[in-house]
Parts: sequence; C-alpha cells; structure tokens
Amino acid sequence: MMIEDVFEPLFLSMGFIRAVLERTFMQRALMTGVLIGFLAPLIGSFVVIKRLSMIADTLSHFTLAGLSIGLFFINILALPIGDPLYIGMIFAVTGALLIEALRNYYQNYKEISMPIVISLGTALSALFISLSGGFTSTVYNYLFGSILTVSQQFIYIITATTIIVIVLIAVFYKKIVIVSFDESYARLLGINVNVFQFFTTIILGLVIALAIETVGVLLVSSLMIIPVAAAMKVGRSFKNTLLIAILFSEASVLLGLWLSYVVGIPSGATIVLFNISILLLVVIIKKLFSIQQTLKKDSSENEKTKPI
Amino acid sequence: MRIKVDNLSFGYDYRTVLKNISFTLESGEFLVLVGNNGSGKSTLVKCLLGINRVPSNRIYIDDIDIHQYRQWINIGYVPQKFDDFNYEFPITVNEILTVSRLSKIDEEARLSLLDKIGILELQNENINSLSGGQLQRVFIARALMNNPKLLILDEPTVGVDSDSISEFYRLINNLNAEGVSIILITHDVKASKANFTKKLRMENGRLTETLDNEVTS
Repeated sequence: MMIEDVFEPLFLSMGFIRAVLERTFMQRALMTGVLIGFLAPLIGSFVVIKRLSMIADTLSHFTLAGLSIGLFFINILALPIGDPLYIGMIFAVTGALLIEALRNYYQNYKEISMPIVISLGTALSALFISLSGGFTSTVYNYLFGSILTVSQQFIYIITATTIIVIVLIAVFYKKIVIVSFDESYARLLGINVNVFQFFTTIILGLVIALAIETVGVLLVSSLMIIPVAAAMKVGRSFKNTLLIAILFSEASVLLGLWLSYVVGIPSGATIVLFNISILLLVVIIKKLFSIQQTLKKDSSENEKTKPI
Repeated sequence: MRIKVDNLSFGYDYRTVLKNISFTLESGEFLVLVGNNGSGKSTLVKCLLGINRVPSNRIYIDDIDIHQYRQWINIGYVPQKFDDFNYEFPITVNEILTVSRLSKIDEEARLSLLDKIGILELQNENINSLSGGQLQRVFIARALMNNPKLLILDEPTVGVDSDSISEFYRLINNLNAEGVSIILITHDVKASKANFTKKLRMENGRLTETLDNEVTS
C-alpha cells in the first residue's frame, strides 16, 4: 500500500476544506446546510411533540405541486415569475392551512387531512411535471435536493427566515411550548390557540419549502424528524433535547456534505443517511446501556438475597 | 372567587347532558361534586371552564357572565386524565411549570410552591420518569403556578396509590384553608378525606342532593 493511499482520505478532506474556502458554491452550500440543519430539527421538535410527523412529508409533496406549476409557468407559458421556489413557498403555506382546515373539519379523524393533501399535491405535481416537459434535471433536483446550486438570493431568504424563526421562538417560547404540549391547557391560560396554530403552520410551510432545496421533496421530512427522534431518546430536558437534535442534525449536514464531495455522491441522500446512522447508533447504545443496567440490577439483587 | 350557576341546561348534538343545574360557590368554599360516571360532572366542569359554550346569563364568575369573563388565569384546573399532555417527549418538571406561568416568575415563590406540593426534589426530573401520584402533584403545581383563586380538580385520585391519595387530600385541605376555593369532582366522596363545605350529587344530569357545611374528618 502506497503512503498516498493511507493519506488519501486526508488529502480529499483537505480538498473539501479548500473547496469551502475557495469556491463560492461550496460556501453557499455549507451556509444553506448549516442554517437548514439548525431550522429543520428546531421546527421538527414541535411537530413531533404535536404528533404531526407526517405533516412534513405531506407539505413537501404539496410544495412540489407549487414547484411544478412554477416550472409550467416558466417553461410553457413563458411567464416571468422568477424562481419557481416562490410558488413552492406559497403552496407550502396553502397546504399547511388546508391541513389545519381539514383537521378542524374532521375533528375525530384529524389524520385524514394528511392523505387528502398529499394526494392532491402528488396528483398536481405529476400533472404539471408532465405538462412542463417531463422528468428533467430540475425536477430531479426538486425530488432529491440541489444544495450545491443554491443562489445568493436563496441564502438571503434562508438567513432572513432563520432570524425570524429564532426571534419568534424567543418571544413566544412559553406559549409555543404550552400549545405544543397541551393545547387544552393553553386555551385555559387564555392563549388563542387557533391564531397561534395559524402562524406556526405558516412558518412550518416556509421552512419545508426552503429545506427542499437541501435534500429534496422526498427526504425533507427526515431532516426535520430523524434528529429529533434520536435526541428524544437521550435528552434530559426539553431544551437539552432541542440542543441535541440540532447538534445531530448539524453533524449529519457537515458529514454529509463532506462525504458527498469526497466520494462524489448526492449530498441530500448522504445527509439523510448520516441522520439515520446517528439514530441507529443512539438506539443501539441506548439498548446496550439498558441491558447493562438490568444486569447490574439483577446481580445486586442476587447479592442481597444470597444465603449467608 | 364566587361562582353562580343559574338554571343551566347543556347538551351535545341532540342529547341533553345537564338539566336545570343551579348552585352557588362562595369565595373560599370547598365544593365536592359527586355522581356516577356519565352523570354529567365533567360536562359541568367544562362549562365552568368555558370549554363548553353555554347560553348567556347561566354562569357567572365573580358576578361577571362567563361570556364576558377574561381572567381565566384565576382558575386552576387539574384534568381527569393527563392524556391531553404529551409526556413522552423529554421535559422536566421545572420546564413545565415555568412555561405554565406566562407572566414573570418569582423564583422564591416557585420554590416554596414546589416544596408545599412535595415535588421540590423532582424539579429536574423528566416527567416521563414520574409515577402516577408524582405526575398528579406536578399537574396540581401547574394549576397553582398562576396563584388561582379557584382550583378545579376532576377525579384527581383515579389511578393514584392510597398513600398518595392521603397526601393529596392533606394538600388540598391546606390549600382551601389558605383561602383557595376548591371544586372537587369525584365518584366516591366516602373515600375522600376532603374537608368540604358543600356537597352536590349529580344523577343523569340533575342535581339531586345538596348538603351545606358538612365537614368530614
């Protein structure tokens, strides 16, 4: 084995660092990844608490409908609408409001709202993708993400969104937590839960639309839910769990970007696979730890009951 | 806090659950509402909490019609089941209590409340690691975070072990002695050790028995 082979990963990593330092597209990708890596689990935590994990998937499919219609406007009707992302964002918010409306309409079957909205989103997507020229590389990017091609404008939008979300969470922290954990009690405290829900749903829609740029429609929910699923198992408090979820998510984004650059594989999928690996690792370590605890407990009990 | 219920009838869809209910609760009183399952006790509580929308001029809180009443912060509520609360996601006792008071929290008052309820040592525990009795005390503490003038407890001792039940009644009696009005809903008043001042019995949505100033040991 040549010495170059041994140090090859190191050289490649150096290449990654150099690329980040020298190339604008890599800097944008890293910035997008870090911001989405922060936003997605932060918003995702509240989604998980409210047992609405499917909402991310539903909204991402509905956003795809908006993106496809945007493509149709640009490619076929030649309308100067700019980036289809804007229509995607409008659809994400519309989808979120539609889910809320359906959840209120089917009080006892709230989950029924998800398949209805996901079906509408998928059907519209299929229709408009076909009408606007079929399965192109743009559509592929929508499905699986295109973090390496994000524009400077996108960086501005996502930075602004991150700041707005942080400010809103800081200002309304208590109310957000109460509404998420116990809606009935929030009503008793005089919080207008419906108005509150309306705004949080809009933010959720916006974050999902932006996250699509990173990992794509098909993987966006994993970015919001999986780090939270892993953090839930090790978090000692609510804030601690949020922090761990963000750390897991950022680790996945950075490792995913690095590996995808070094090996030349799709970044979105790599990020999600790192997320899943962390979850698996947490589950396995937790399991081993609990087995060890049980064994320790058993042996100390045996010790106590041993005849003298 | 004074509650006046005047000839209240209430139903869901076409089913009348409460029929011509009238009673008053004076400030500082301890009211026990007894009755079998399905007699309408929890429905009445939901009316008092403004969750069920009742007609005007039927419920008055501090002489204000419930439709105009805004000071809900004065009423603490401990629900029958904690199903509405998602207690599988990590959150500590302290974190729940902190978010349950929207206005500023006096650290000393918080610690003395935890001490009084007997959960001082549990404050940094995750609620998913608590027993039924401990969880119940956390929810009582939550209801007391805003210094309510009235505490409504719906079947608070269901699923709680007997030691915790005795401890619970000691706590509730003390709170009442400190001036907090109490409405306690239970299906078995004999088992309770409540020092109540008024007892109402409900059967099929009607008040069938009213006892005033009865004190049990």
